[in-house]
Parts: sequence; structure tokens; C-alpha cells
Amino acid sequence: MAATFASRCSRVGRSLLGGLSNSSPGLFSTSHELTCGNFFSQQQRTFIQMRTVLKVVDNSGAKKVMCIQALKGKKGARLGDTIIASVKEAHPNGKVKKGKVVYGVVVRAAMQRGRCDGSEVKFDDNAVVLVDKQGQPIGTRVFGPVPHELRQKKHVKILTLAGHIA
Amino acid sequence: MRLEKCWFCSSTVYPGHGIQFVRNDAKIFRFCRSKCHKNFKMKRNPRKVKWTKAYRRVHGKDMTQHYYIYMLFQDSTFEFERKRNRPERYDRNLAESVLKAIPKIDKIRVSREEAHHKNRMKGKKQKLQMEAVRELKQGISLVKAPSVLQKDPSLTLPKVKVGVSRQQSEDNHPMEE
Repeated sequence: MAATFASRCSRVGRSLLGGLSNSSPGLFSTSHELTCGNFFSQQQRTFIQMRTVLKVVDNSGAKKVMCIQALKGKKGARLGDTIIASVKEAHPNGKVKKGKVVYGVVVRAAMQRGRCDGSEVKFDDNAVVLVDKQGQPIGTRVFGPVPHELRQKKHVKILTLAGHIA
Repeated sequence: MRLEKCWFCSSTVYPGHGIQFVRNDAKIFRFCRSKCHKNFKMKRNPRKVKWTKAYRRVHGKDMTQHYYIYMLFQDSTFEFERKRNRPERYDRNLAESVLKAIPKIDKIRVSREEAHHKNRMKGKKQKLQMEAVRELKQGISLVKAPSVLQKDPSLTLPKVKVGVSRQQSEDNHPMEE
């Protein structure tokens, strides 16, 4: 009883309220694992979709954005994909202001992404770098590690600005 | 392609296995399987988890490089692992000699690990024997009834001596089992 309630809680907390069902197969294992009692460490990380709040890791002025659309991908965006987002929180004097609709490239995702050698990478949080329609970053600095999946997606500019490449 | 080490258990992670977790301070944690990954998420310290190599090194169960500090060559067997992270300028002769040396070094390292293990387990046989004798002394009533022992004193536990006598006490063991 408690386990199903907890699993329902986690599902609601993490997925879209509107009812976009996440068809990632890992969810079946989540409800089973939650019965073990380790509630916080058995989170099932999923895609970045509508209403996902992401951290902004460049100096474009925004601090938090909320995803309103994942370009490409029915279930949502993953590491290296572009999203359309709305700025929810911004620095008082920055290039972007609160309420602006911007494009962003996901540079860190809590959901693991498979690499071509078969291994998987995952990061600690969800983070974006704001870009313009052409894909050029708006800011001039990028903080934190970025994956080298961006090279394949042709976001070379972000890679050059980055401090660490994962 | 590189063979990495699992952060938790120190086993090798072959390509196609495991998960890499990148923390926001750009530190990369590699795990060989979900067991190690889950232990990491539980914030367990590998130095306290018995089955990891870190624990075994810290508690002296496995050979570390500090153990034989006076043996200079000991350092080299572990030095090679550390040297992999510093790229060296390519030198054909050096590469050739290193390739020749690799199996030799492996052999030496294995033999030293065996010697360390033997050293650690020294005196185990003796200890087991003493414990068995004591157990037998305490529980001789399970083997033979005390009235029988009093009647026939030759059936009491003989002193543990090398050779024939020891065989007699060993004969009592299977009966006790």
C-alpha cells in the first residue's frame, strides 16, 4: 500500500501533470525498487519535457528556464538536444529577461545517455546553454562540465567555451 | 579504447559495460555494474565495504605499494598504472622494451601477491589444530560416554604429538561430526 502510494508520488512529481505518459520501461522497476525503502536513490530519470525546469549555465543572464517544447523527440529531449524554453528566473541586468522565449541546448541531463562504445553517461542535474535560432550561444562563458556528444550535434562553439569536457 | 577502473570496487570496466557519472565539479565516477553504482548512491564509503579492493588494501589483506617500502621494484608494478595518465613521447625502443617487460612484471606482481597472502595466512593451520583439540577436550562426552572413559583410561585424549598420536585425535574428529 505504502509502496504504491510512494511510487505514484514519484511518478507525479517527476513526470508531466498533463498526462503525457512516459513509456520508458524503467518505471516498472521503480515501483518494485521503492519497496526496498531507499526512496531517494532509486529515482528513475526521464526525458526533458514540457514544464521541466532547467538550470542555465552560461552568462546570458537567465538563471532558470522552463522547457516548453522539445524539438525532435516524441517523449522529450535528452542530452545534446535543443529545446524551446521560457525564462522563469533571470539576473537583473542580463541579455535575456524573464518571460522571454528562448532556444537552448541541453548540456547536462540526469538521464543517462548511451555512448557509441556502449557505456552510459549521466550528470548530476539538468542544465542548458541558451542559443539563438542558428545555434550560436548567446552567452560568452559556459560553466561546469559538458559532454562531448555536442560535437556530433555540431555545437562546437559551446565546446570551445566549456571549462571541462566530460 | 581504455580499460578503466571502477571507482567503487576497483575492478576493470570493459567497453560496453557500466555507467559513468559526471558530477558538477567535473569529477567522473565510473562504475562497473549497478551494484557499485547503487552503493555509491547510498553514499557508502568503499573503504568500509568489505568486498571492495579499497577495503582490502586499507586493511592489509591485499598488497599495496606501501607495504614493501624498502623494495624499490615494488613501486614499479603499481607505478605503471599511474603512468598511464601521463602521455609519453613515442619512442620505438621504449615501446618495444615495455611490451617485453609487461608479462614479466605481471608474473612478478602475481608471485608477490601470493607471497603476501601466504604470509598473512601463516599459522592458520596451527591455530585450527589448537582449536580442534580444545573443542574435542570440551566435548569428549559427545564422542564417548563419560562412564566408559572412566572405566578405560586409555580412551582419554592423548597429548598432541607429531605423528601417530595426532592421527588418533584426528580419528575422533569425524566421529564428532
